[in-house]
Amino acid sequence: MKHLDEMTCVLYLEGQLDRTRAQELMAHTQECGECKVLLRALERESRLLTRAMLEVDEPLPARLAAFQERARRSLQWVWMVTFGLAASGIYAVYTSYVEPMQQRFEQAGFGGTNLLGLLIFQGAFWKGWQSMISLVEVLALLTMAGCGALVFRRWRRRGSAVALIMAGLCAVISMFAVPAGAVEVRKGETVEVRKDENIKGDMFFTGHRISVAGTVDGDVYAFSQDVEVSGHITGDLITGAQTVRVSGTVDGNIRGFSNTVTIAGTVGRNLMAWAQVVNIDPQGKVGRSVTTFTQTLGIEGNVGGDVVAFNQTLRISGTIGGGIEARGERLVLESTAVVNGPVKFEGKKPADVSEGAKLVFGPVQFSELKTEHKHDSGVWYYFWRALWSAAFVLYGLVLIYLMPSFSKESSRACENVGASLGIGVLAGISTPIAAALVCATVIGIPLGIASLMLWLTMIFTAQVVVGTVIGRWILGPTEDLWGRIGRMALGIVVLGVIVAVLHQIAFVEFLFKVAIALWGFGALGIALYKRFRPGVVASSVAPAFS
Amino acid sequence: MSAPGITESTQTIVRARAGDAEAWGDLYREYAPAIYRFCRRALPTKEDAEDATMDIFMKVRDKLNQYDASRPFTAWLYKVAANYCWDLLRRRKVRQDKETEDLDELPLEHPDPDQLEQLIEKRTSEEVRSALQTLSPRARMALVLRYYSDMSYDEIADSLGVRRAFVGVVLLRARHEMRHALEGKAALTAGAS
Repeated sequence: MKHLDEMTCVLYLEGQLDRTRAQELMAHTQECGECKVLLRALERESRLLTRAMLEVDEPLPARLAAFQERARRSLQWVWMVTFGLAASGIYAVYTSYVEPMQQRFEQAGFGGTNLLGLLIFQGAFWKGWQSMISLVEVLALLTMAGCGALVFRRWRRRGSAVALIMAGLCAVISMFAVPAGAVEVRKGETVEVRKDENIKGDMFFTGHRISVAGTVDGDVYAFSQDVEVSGHITGDLITGAQTVRVSGTVDGNIRGFSNTVTIAGTVGRNLMAWAQVVNIDPQGKVGRSVTTFTQTLGIEGNVGGDVVAFNQTLRISGTIGGGIEARGERLVLESTAVVNGPVKFEGKKPADVSEGAKLVFGPVQFSELKTEHKHDSGVWYYFWRALWSAAFVLYGLVLIYLMPSFSKESSRACENVGASLGIGVLAGISTPIAAALVCATVIGIPLGIASLMLWLTMIFTAQVVVGTVIGRWILGPTEDLWGRIGRMALGIVVLGVIVAVLHQIAFVEFLFKVAIALWGFGALGIALYKRFRPGVVASSVAPAFS
Repeated sequence: MSAPGITESTQTIVRARAGDAEAWGDLYREYAPAIYRFCRRALPTKEDAEDATMDIFMKVRDKLNQYDASRPFTAWLYKVAANYCWDLLRRRKVRQDKETEDLDELPLEHPDPDQLEQLIEKRTSEEVRSALQTLSPRARMALVLRYYSDMSYDEIADSLGVRRAFVGVVLLRARHEMRHALEGKAALTAGAS
């Protein structure tokens, strides 16, 4: 008689044999004593194994019993310190940089704004400040909707946070694109609004030379080498050109990026310019304020409001209705100058005031421009580095918590140093250039602005990605969420220490920061590409435990 | 699949998923002893088991949203624990070294039923647990998954990354390893007496 093999007996005891085979086995054991003993022994072995496994042989170690409470307490401590440092950092940044800047912008006719408004300042290029308020509201609503979507995603575990954020970005782009659809477009080598022309609505011009000799009842967006306005624009003039000359009338604001801006006509409201030279001719008039970021600003004409100037040289021989707040190398007030408000100047040497100059609010309040910021030296510097590191840790913590899969993919890409750095150099440098180029088209402006916002976000996030990888290299890989957050925090601290050490050699510190930014940027780019490349369905949820 | 002394706490799980810290604490208190015992059986040292228990619960907390409430919680919990322990062993490169590969190739000797019965008769639970620590990681893991966690063959195959048809063989080899270990102890005991 052929005996049963052990495997069959074990499978029978484990309930893995089909009914026929089980019946055959039972029948065999009725006749074969040896196999019956084997089956019984195996069954007892199973019982012994089960009993040995399940017996409670030792209590839960005290370390484990205390683990939960200790983890909770330690976490509270970490959170308190991190939030405290981050809050101090945010407050310090606000009071040192944002608030003074905000005050200056308010003086420049951007009153009633808020921090969010300043952050999305590009919106001022759209429909003037009044519509900016509604834009801010829409953006705030979109942000809230985005946060809601993230919460919903965590609740339902559907889709990806990155996809939602990208969708939000697309929504912003489409929102920007809506007003663009109402704009009349003219292109060509030379684009002209003739003297006898009267155009209702907004205009968008691109060309080598643009001339507005007629009337435009709306805003004008002009991007060209030369822009000349000798006619009448009832709205704003938004321009990017090598030379801009306004000898006619602009009822609204002028905002421009140019090499040279000359105002020989009338600007009803404010002038804001980023240019090499800005000149308001003797017959030129600006109804409200002038805000410039230029090498040279000359005011021979009349300004109704304040002048806020960040220039190398500011020369005034005309009349200023309000005050002057200037920062730069030189302030010259000619004998014909009249200033009806206080004059504050922060520069390397006191203002050069001619005898005949009329300063209604008394002499110039001069303060010396310090070449080294107080935050860039001594104990302050290290204090600031610690605050910034804490702020980055907090930012990274939120990112990893909200987008665990994407952060993991980014770190993985970042570990491939060569590829990340290569892509970072390529994309990190070319993206802002490409964004500036696409701004030359109607649809391009919102796309360009959105690209720049994404670029800035990625540059800001780069340190978190690199920090996570450095932390992993030090402590080893982990799949645990809090383990990854801990490694990110450690990495950021290490980066902070390296930067603090390299601070002694200014150029090397700068190079190091750029390298880190490009490395992380490249990793983020690779991770985004992998996630959104056509034909690949990315898994947003780690499958290990499902 | 269920674990000894554990009852499914649906309400607690729901509350813990919603972020209730108290509920999470209750879950930990309820399940930590069972998971610690699991790790104690599966991993080589007590320290490993303690560390693993903490890590597993951190993982569980992060992944609680992924838990499918239509399945038993303990089954999911043991799956997380099994994956963690097996990954840990694999990272230590002791999962499948050359020696055990060779052992896998050897044919299994058919046992003498009477000798087997005598061996089982004489051995205690404590000796079995002690012998468990001397087995190869895969044998130890297979026995723990089957006789502690009461996992099905499909679940074991999934956890250990082997074909389902191979699970029976893995378990049988694990039993043979256990018998060898117990026989060694018997010989030692006989030598001592």
